[in-house]
Amino acid sequence: MSLISMEFLLFVLVAAVGYYLIPKKYQWLWLLVFSYIYYASSGVKLLLFLVYTTGTTYAAGRLLEKVEQKELPKKEAKAAKRRILTLGLLLNFGMLAVLKYTNFAVANVNAIFHTSFSFQKWMLPLGISFYTFQSMGYLLDVYWGKCKAEKNPLRFALFVSFFPQILQGPIGRFDRLAVQLYQEHRFDLQRMQYALQLILWGFFKKLVLADRAAVVVNQVFLNYTQYSGVLNLVAVLMYSVQLYMDFSGGMDVVMGVASLFGIELDQNFKRPYFAVSITDFWHRWHITLGTWMKDYVFYPVSLSKWMGRIGKWSKKVFGKKTGRVIPICIANLIVFLLVGVWHGAAWKFIAYGLYHGLIISVSSLLAPVYRKGLEIFSINQKSGGWKVVQILRTFVLINISWYFDMAVSLSAAFTMMKTTVTGFSLSAFQDGSLLTLGLDWLDYLILLVGCLVVFFISFRQERGVKIRESLAEKPLLFRWAVYGMLLFGIPMFGYVMTTTGGFIYAQF
Amino acid sequence: MEQLLEILSEIQPDVDYKTCTTLIDDEWLDSFAILSIVSELEEAFDIGITPADIVPENFNSAQALYQMVKRLQEEG
Repeated sequence: MSLISMEFLLFVLVAAVGYYLIPKKYQWLWLLVFSYIYYASSGVKLLLFLVYTTGTTYAAGRLLEKVEQKELPKKEAKAAKRRILTLGLLLNFGMLAVLKYTNFAVANVNAIFHTSFSFQKWMLPLGISFYTFQSMGYLLDVYWGKCKAEKNPLRFALFVSFFPQILQGPIGRFDRLAVQLYQEHRFDLQRMQYALQLILWGFFKKLVLADRAAVVVNQVFLNYTQYSGVLNLVAVLMYSVQLYMDFSGGMDVVMGVASLFGIELDQNFKRPYFAVSITDFWHRWHITLGTWMKDYVFYPVSLSKWMGRIGKWSKKVFGKKTGRVIPICIANLIVFLLVGVWHGAAWKFIAYGLYHGLIISVSSLLAPVYRKGLEIFSINQKSGGWKVVQILRTFVLINISWYFDMAVSLSAAFTMMKTTVTGFSLSAFQDGSLLTLGLDWLDYLILLVGCLVVFFISFRQERGVKIRESLAEKPLLFRWAVYGMLLFGIPMFGYVMTTTGGFIYAQF
Repeated sequence: MEQLLEILSEIQPDVDYKTCTTLIDDEWLDSFAILSIVSELEEAFDIGITPADIVPENFNSAQALYQMVKRLQEEG
């Protein structure tokens, strides 16, 4: 059941009306029932995978707590807890790895050893990456004593399966999400209005902008050898529009729907194209994946014994300052390798992750040189002009990474980059080539105006303006003009795709 | 405390560590800076910091960091 289907809207309506009519103490149970119905709608058999993750994580969490209560000697308790944690992680990440990466492994083994192992035709359970990461985050939190294990298996099942977020996140944290899921919620008209506005905004980004930009993206990326450099560049810029509008639009719908039930999910986007560096970009793009990686991979790997040994060695060899940063850079590369692999089982995604990781690591190592350079050229780091330069520089670097992300293969990504540079000519803007990519001039105009609207709103948000609160203070006529434009504009200007247009991140 | 302030200033200058109580919340320290601080604290005070200790409550101010160091020293 796609988030942009009429069935989904009806499903949410029934769920929300019932939620506020039944006795409040059963609200969480109501959400659980609807979450399982929602997941089952994508395939009843897939529920088995969801139950597997829920069951194994719940059991591991409870076992960890039992060890804690036994008052065993410190060393013995630590070893027992580590065994339980390892088993829990293996059972779940193992399942994810087998389902998601077997065919990638088979393809590489066949290519290297000239074997002919057959590919598996397993169906990847929807949202498995998201709910597995969310569950394993919980398990690690229990292991570290950051939160208590949930005693009620049904309540825990809701934490894993809460329907608005299960397909494409945001990846929730137990301490912030669970308490809201189990709370009793009163109907709040203001919250409902804000939630509906956010949902409409998400539909606008997805249906008017993302699906329209996707036409050019698919045409050029799938037939990249037929197009000139400038059209390759247009396609990658369109992809930066499509991916952001698709993913952040989806998040707006998800967060709006959750808010209808009184649940505020963690922010996943903070105007990423205003980032001044790649590090800043990852603080603004898919935030919950970034913070998950930071807390559950980056810190543990950096603080591990073997990384400590590398740190001591590098301090001896490279001196205190550089030596201190080297193990952190290695951990950072491991994180971004995983971010790449998380996006999909292909070499292009590994290149995508390592590209980001390398830029962040090298920037960190060269930070003193960079600071010196700014001093020499007397650049005022706080000036508006310098900020614009930083934003543009980051945007270019991000767009280079989109070649890896969207190209059909790693070699196609490099070919497209080469064509962009070597076959660049502005004639495509004059000879009508732009109109051969599946969109007419009106589509381009809608895209331009739509992007300017999003830019204007994002700019205001960057300045600290809260858009919905600010809108609520405007005169009635103005407010309803905005609602009207969204309500009628979306069906009027929404791009009708010939295929069923799902969300990009719902494939993970 | 003086030694701690010296470590912080060396890793991330331009912050008034004596008054700032939002080192994490206001993003004065990024994850690279946090790990550099951890590495220096472990060496200077002979303590072991675990991922469970890296929470905003322990890193939001120099005072909070000092309290964490003292606690970890006591725990041995």
